[in-house]
Amino acid sequence: MKKIAALSTLLILTSALAVAPKDTLVIQESADIPTMDPGVTYDTASGSITENLYETLLTYSGASLTKLEPLLSTKWTISNGGKTYTFDLRKNVKFHSGNAMTCADAEYSFERNLVTNSAESGNWFIAESLLGTGANANDDKTITWARIDKAVECNAAGQLIFNLPAVDPAFLAKLAYTGQSVIDSKYAIKLGEWSGKEADWKNWVGKDLTNSALSKAPSGTGAYKFVRKDANAFLATAFDGYWGKKPAIKNIVIQKVPELAARQQAFLRGDADMIEGAGRAVDEEQIKGKPGVMWVDNLPNTVASAFFMNENIKSTGLLGSGKLDGKGIPANFFKDSNVRRAFSYAFNYEQYIQDVQKGKGKQRTMLLPDTFPGYDAKVGTYSFDKAKATQYFQRAWGGQVWKNGFVMTANYRAGAVASQTAMEILKKNIESINPKFRVNIQAKPWSEMLAASKKGEEAMIIIGWAPDYADPDNFMYTFYSSNGYYFPRNNWKDAQVDKWLEQARNTVNTAERNRLYSLVGKKAYEQAPYILMPAGVNYLFTRDNITGVSASNYNPMISFAYTGTFWKELGKK
Amino acid sequence: MLNFIVRRLIQIPVVMLVLSLMIVGITQLLTPEQRAAPYIRSEQQAARLEQIIEQRGLRDPFPVQYGRWLSATLKGDLGYSKASSQDVITTIQERLPRTLELTFVTAIPILLLSIWLGTLSALHKDKLIDQILRVFVVLGYSLPSFVVGILLLAVFYAYLGWLPGAGQVSVLNTFALGELQRYTGLLTVDAALNGRWDIAWDALQHLILPAMTLLIVLSASIIKVMRNNMLEALTSDYVRTARAKGLSSRVVNNKHARRNALLSIVTLGGFLIIGLLSGSLITETIFAYPGVGQWVVQAAVGVDLAAVLGFAMLTAVIVVVVSTIVDILYGVIDPRVRFD
Repeated sequence: MKKIAALSTLLILTSALAVAPKDTLVIQESADIPTMDPGVTYDTASGSITENLYETLLTYSGASLTKLEPLLSTKWTISNGGKTYTFDLRKNVKFHSGNAMTCADAEYSFERNLVTNSAESGNWFIAESLLGTGANANDDKTITWARIDKAVECNAAGQLIFNLPAVDPAFLAKLAYTGQSVIDSKYAIKLGEWSGKEADWKNWVGKDLTNSALSKAPSGTGAYKFVRKDANAFLATAFDGYWGKKPAIKNIVIQKVPELAARQQAFLRGDADMIEGAGRAVDEEQIKGKPGVMWVDNLPNTVASAFFMNENIKSTGLLGSGKLDGKGIPANFFKDSNVRRAFSYAFNYEQYIQDVQKGKGKQRTMLLPDTFPGYDAKVGTYSFDKAKATQYFQRAWGGQVWKNGFVMTANYRAGAVASQTAMEILKKNIESINPKFRVNIQAKPWSEMLAASKKGEEAMIIIGWAPDYADPDNFMYTFYSSNGYYFPRNNWKDAQVDKWLEQARNTVNTAERNRLYSLVGKKAYEQAPYILMPAGVNYLFTRDNITGVSASNYNPMISFAYTGTFWKELGKK
Repeated sequence: MLNFIVRRLIQIPVVMLVLSLMIVGITQLLTPEQRAAPYIRSEQQAARLEQIIEQRGLRDPFPVQYGRWLSATLKGDLGYSKASSQDVITTIQERLPRTLELTFVTAIPILLLSIWLGTLSALHKDKLIDQILRVFVVLGYSLPSFVVGILLLAVFYAYLGWLPGAGQVSVLNTFALGELQRYTGLLTVDAALNGRWDIAWDALQHLILPAMTLLIVLSASIIKVMRNNMLEALTSDYVRTARAKGLSSRVVNNKHARRNALLSIVTLGGFLIIGLLSGSLITETIFAYPGVGQWVVQAAVGVDLAAVLGFAMLTAVIVVVVSTIVDILYGVIDPRVRFD
């Protein structure tokens, strides 16, 4: 008995020390960090690391999505009708390796992104600005070394100059993305990365940098310096040579804890300062209101999701008879705007907000986050209205839809409970309008759904888009242009909308762009190419001794979604 | 004996070849898009699906894809695991010693305790201790390891605060790990060899709950088999003869009955060790213990082909080596077993 008592005492004493130390921020999450090389960073888990180890030329100012402020640059000027950008770089900036940052490092970083531009990376969008195409030299043979070399240069005064082939109003926002961070060129070359010269550029085209030498041993100018990463944890420490204000928290530890219950217990005991949650329903039940927990709600959400209604369904498997004979639908069923409007009126938005988003949801007027520039709150929204839906169904296809009825099949992403519920809500309402209407819904693996939808083979699916950079073009063009990424999924084409979107792409006049996007929004409301899903409201939670976390400095463009800030802005009481 | 061992070792490459053909073959049932899924982490990356498939040669015919894998493997490159964000070889090198460490602290207590409890149960057939042990066996059988694991975590970590939570060491010691000179890869041993007794103790504490979980779940079947074997041995002719010779019951039970009852325990022990070395998937995941099991779970969920193949190869080696050792042990316990 004495032995047991002694052992218990020892255990209690030693485990008492386990509480997260004051100078260390402890985060527990389920997944690994895919890469630490900014050249291929294109996911939030990697982005939340690279954005703190590395720095970009400019960044978002506080919580703002429209105001950009200098970071590694001190100022910039735009000339040549919006096609030349000249950056003055910050002096006395050191990399973690001890090397001084020069303009050559910035030039190398951007050229490396343009040269490699691998499929896994987000470099397609900077390539669109600087080379006029999102492709790399393997896919587009017109891309030469001379074009890459000319796109970004240093002048004799040590300024960094970007030469754009055409005006791009989103260019500055694109530079704020962590994938466009400045890397330590001398150090990277020494590690065996691309030499920065024409001689070997072709060997690096399309190369996946996820597991690059630089990813294993990063060196940036950021406030935090990489210490070590193993199967269990990622460690970083405050960089003594940082040019800016010294961070308040010395160490960062990101532990990999796949099991939710273990993370929750560690958080509630104070062993972890932040943890990856499990969605609003679970987090509100398990975490909110517990002692020592800080809960921040009503935060902006920058994801836009919608039901896609394909106007040219290429898969015959989903069409039934393929005719409007009550046993199927024709491939161009959704071509008639009356069908699309009828579907839009048949979705119960309020019910979705209550059932799926626990009352924390918001209907948007456009497929653009409401915090983004260009969003027009005055554009109309559809609401659940059975009478109006009936009216439009009666008009559709010259009365054939109402008379004969239809059977269609919609797929949702297997395991996506929100999508499944949304589909069920729509199905129930449509089938209640006319007994001859039937909507079959079925689960499909994500990878198959992505591939099929890209080929235009899905009749109706729900997918979303998260921003690469805070510019409306990233959403509006993607969803509404017939040249946009999502076009093959719904085949909705409107010549006027295409024209407006191209115009908005080619002007730097903000008021004019806003006007154009508003016009697109209104036309889309009227034509109803999508059923807009209500946007969820974001929230976060941390231990209450963490400072620097609030709704006023939460920026949804920051990859570290636990606080929406860089680590250097956080403190610990 | 040497012949036997050599023959067994020659089996390894053959087993690996067949296994790899089967696994790569099965993956051909998946579409190229499904096989490209591990490379996609966002909708945006999905936009580049075709390029990813093209770059990885995922549309190539089966012989081409298999040939590519085999030629890389023969050069010692098992590919890159998306689940661990590392090369497969590096992942195994890093994680296997940790699983080995967990196996050490788990397998020996499980075997010793189960043999002892099984014997005890048989010797006290139908008495209170036997009844209690039989209830324990039923519980061990019926409770899934994730239930036992979470329960232990909730009681000893969250409620009582006696033992540390998930992970291999506490946050305080996480930074110190980088300074440790690694000799064996086993953290408790390496920390002790470096004179860092605090880290060794910390790592050992972190092993207690996963080990307890495995002990509760895995010892049930061995206790049950040991009890049955002992009961059978105790009623056999040679035990009766030994008793008739006037030997003490201690000698009869331990030397005659138990030794014979142990034969099938050696087989079970082999399976136990193979299972533990191949990673205690659920337990490692619950306790965030960074062994091979935790990696494999993630690899399987993400269709990480390189990792699955690498793990299958590792398992093949473990199975052949451990079963060879088990067969040799058979010979030691039962002199009737001969290898030549």
